[in-house]
This record gives sequence, structure tokens and C-alpha cells, in this order.
Amino acid sequence: MLKLTDVAVNYGSFTAINHVNIEVAEGEIVVLLGANGAGKSTTFRSISGISKLSKGEIHFQGIPIGGRAPDKNVREGIVQCAEGRKLFPQMTVQENLRMGAYVHRKKKAEIKDSLEYVYHLFPILKEKHHDEAGSLSGGQQQMLAIGRALMSKPKLLMLDEPSVGLAPLIVEQMFQVIEEINREGITILLAEQNANAALSIADKGYVFENGEIVVQGTASELLANDEVRKAYIGA
Amino acid sequence: MEILVQQLFNGLTIGSVYSLVALGLTLVYGILHIPNFAHGALYMLGGYITLSMMTLYGVNYWMAMFVSIIVVGLLGVLLERFVFRLLREAPPLHDKIAAIGILLFLEAFAQFVWGADFHTMTSPYGQVVNILGLTFTLQRLLIIVSAIAVMVLLYLFLKKTYAGSTIIAMSQSREGASLVGININKVAMLTFMISGGLAAIASSLASPINLVFPGMGHLVILKAFVIIILGGMGSIPGAIVGGYILGFSESLGATYISNDYKDIIAFILLVIILTVKPTGLFAKGER
Repeated sequence: MLKLTDVAVNYGSFTAINHVNIEVAEGEIVVLLGANGAGKSTTFRSISGISKLSKGEIHFQGIPIGGRAPDKNVREGIVQCAEGRKLFPQMTVQENLRMGAYVHRKKKAEIKDSLEYVYHLFPILKEKHHDEAGSLSGGQQQMLAIGRALMSKPKLLMLDEPSVGLAPLIVEQMFQVIEEINREGITILLAEQNANAALSIADKGYVFENGEIVVQGTASELLANDEVRKAYIGA
Repeated sequence: MEILVQQLFNGLTIGSVYSLVALGLTLVYGILHIPNFAHGALYMLGGYITLSMMTLYGVNYWMAMFVSIIVVGLLGVLLERFVFRLLREAPPLHDKIAAIGILLFLEAFAQFVWGADFHTMTSPYGQVVNILGLTFTLQRLLIIVSAIAVMVLLYLFLKKTYAGSTIIAMSQSREGASLVGININKVAMLTFMISGGLAAIASSLASPINLVFPGMGHLVILKAFVIIILGGMGSIPGAIVGGYILGFSESLGATYISNDYKDIIAFILLVIILTVKPTGLFAKGER
């Protein structure tokens, strides 16, 4: 479904990622592991079209998408839920969700269904649908960010560190919801530092270090890999 | 008492014009973070185009204003597309230099085409009316009513339509707007068009009670900057409230303090408000 071939992204003279090869099959959950600044977010930004590729090619459903504008990618079903959430802080929860459906703005009935679906996944958002997004707690904002991404009916959903800064109980809920979304047929690319939780729901994973992929394998392989365990699981 | 009411009415009139100009300025600032110094020149052009349409082609006032809105709006789009978009990755100072360059160019252009003379615009609404002891020309009433109507329409557009809410969305988070599939370039062009259109409306409404000349935008744009600074940069309610605050304080100040110091009141107000509330009246909580 998604294939990155030898992708590199430079910010000025700084090479953020290099020689990145990733393959994601339809319906999978694939996790990108790595420390801060290892290149996970840049990889996401290159896929969504926000960062320009300096080398390599990205294919989505067989079509090259490297260098395509981000709004076109959203319309084609590649949706990113960014680190730091990037919500519209002075809009209400419901307005944020409606903006999420921007690419489907002509289909009123569909928007209503999506809204119902998001409220079903995150009942707290329905409760707070009149509140400004900026007034929500961190966990609720993360739910809203995921909800907003779902509103555009993604085929591929990229979640950038959804668990960062959240209480353990909320993190657990978050991963349950991610699994539930995946069961609906949405392919998921997940960047995480919480390797244990991420690998427990993932099919396979890639480990980033200094902008390059150093280890890759199925989730069980990575969980059994000593170096990965030492670096990211702390066991 | 009569003088007070009369002056409040005058404040409402000039406040309406200020608000319209400041709204265009604040919209552009809110989404692109460009202080568009050329906005006053757009205001000036709007006045000239309306005037020319009326005098040269004998078009009626409303039709002339409509042409002016379209022309200045499109000029705004061109500025975005061929000047500011190319500078998006450049250091922020370059936007400001470009804006000043556009300002100087447009003023020289107006002087070249229309000359440096002062022109009067005769509106079909010059009649003097007398309501409840208040004496005013119909044009002044028209300014207030039209400005408020435009603000209401703008509000409905921004709040109730998807196209309008993209502007709000982009002002709150540019990257968030990108993530939901909004085309940033289109929103930027749309915003410049609305901004130019608002400038044209403001000058077309105000010109019959003022004069049309190449430098007519100078004081207006300076005051519009005062308004958006004291209202909170990028804040829409701030631009409206700020415009009326300035309008009222000017007309009351002219009467009760001194007409000679009328134009300085804006800047004194700026100093006072920024001393008390440095972020402006309606500043957004987080950036």
C-alpha cells in the first residue's frame, strides 16, 4: 500500500533522514521506533507532503506521491495526526472535527456519520463538543486530534507519538482505540517511544537512529531483539 | 447634550470606516503574519477606481463601488501570488520591505495616472437629514449601515461556510490546516482578496465625506495599525471594537479637547492601552 524507497530529507544542510526504506501492507499496523530527533516525524512529514524529498520515491497504492501537495494527499486518504496535535485551539471540539472533514465538505450525510463514529470512539468528545479545543486536557486533545484525522476518512492513518505526555491509563485506552480503528480496515503507521505498548499491537516495526533505519522486523522479532529491548523497553 | 450625541454619531461614522480597513489588515496578519503596509495604498486605489468609474463612465455609485471591490480584490490576489508567496520561506523582514515597496509603487502609480490633485467624490446621498435633533448627511448614515452589514456578512462567511472557516483554521494553526487537507495557497489568495475588497468598500464609502488623493491612505493605515495592535494582532473582534474605540475617542477628543490634536489621540490611546495590557485587548491566549 505504501512504499518508501531510499528516501532522504534535508533541512538546509542538515540531513534529517537518509536511506529510508519502508513498506506497509494494507490493513497493517506498522510502528516506527526511535528516540527524539531520530527521524520518525520527518518520515511522516515526507509521506504527508509537508516536507519535500531530497532523494528517493514514495508510492501509495502504486502511484508515486513524492512531492505531491499535502492537501492532495489528504484527499487521497493519507492523513497525519501530528505530534503536538496541531488542533485549532479557539474552535470548539465539534468545529475541529468538522474541519477534519474538510475534504468531504460537500457530503453532509457522510460528515454526520463520521461525527457519530468519532463520538462513539471517544464519548468524552461528545460530552465536550461545545468546549474550545484549547481548554481540553492533554489526553482529550490527543483524542480530538485522532478524531479529526478520522473525519477525513483515511486509508492510511499516521499517528505521531499519540501517547506522549499522557497518563498510563489513558495510554492504554489510546492503544485500544488504535486497534479498534485498525479493525475497521484503516492501515496505521505509528511513531512511538513507548516500544512495548506499540509493538504489542503492531505487525512489524522499524527502528530509527540518527535519521536511518538500523533494525527492522516483525513485532515479535523486535520484542525479542536484545538491542531493541535494551534501548527502548528497558529490560 | 446635543453636541455629545452628534459627536457620538460622527464617531460611529469614522469608526465604521476604521473598522473595515483594520479588518482587512488583521485578516492578512492573522493568517500570514505579514504586516501589510501596502493596505493603505489598496484603500487609496479603491477610492480612485470608484471615482473614475463614476466620472469617466458615468456608472452609478453602487456599481462603481462593486467594480472597485473586484479590481482591488484581484490586485490583492496578485500581490499574494507574485510577491508574498515567493517570500514565504524568506526572513520575515523581506515581507515588510516588499509591502513598503508595493505601497510606494502604487502611490507613484496613482499620481502618474490621476495626478496629485485632490478630487471630490459626489455621492448621490448628499441630502441632509434631520432626525431627533441630529443633523447629518445621508452618506454618513449609509457608511454606518453598510459597514455593519459588511461586518455581519463577513462574520457569517467566516463562521458558517467551509471556505470562510478555512481562514480561521489557518490563523489558528497553519500546519493543522494543512493536515486536514486545506490548500494553504488558496486560503492565502482568498484572504488577500477579501482584504483588498474590504479596503475598497471602506474608501468608496468614506470618500464622499473626505477627499480622494494619492496620500489619502497614509493616516488611515497608520490608524489601522494602531487599531489592530490595540485590539490584538490578528483578532477579528479586536479590529472591530478597536476601530470604534478610535472613532469615538477621535470625535469626542476633537470636540472636548482640541480639533488640532485629533490625529494624535490614536497614538496616545495606543501608548495607554499597551501600557496597561501589552498583548492588546483581544489577544489570543497562545501562539
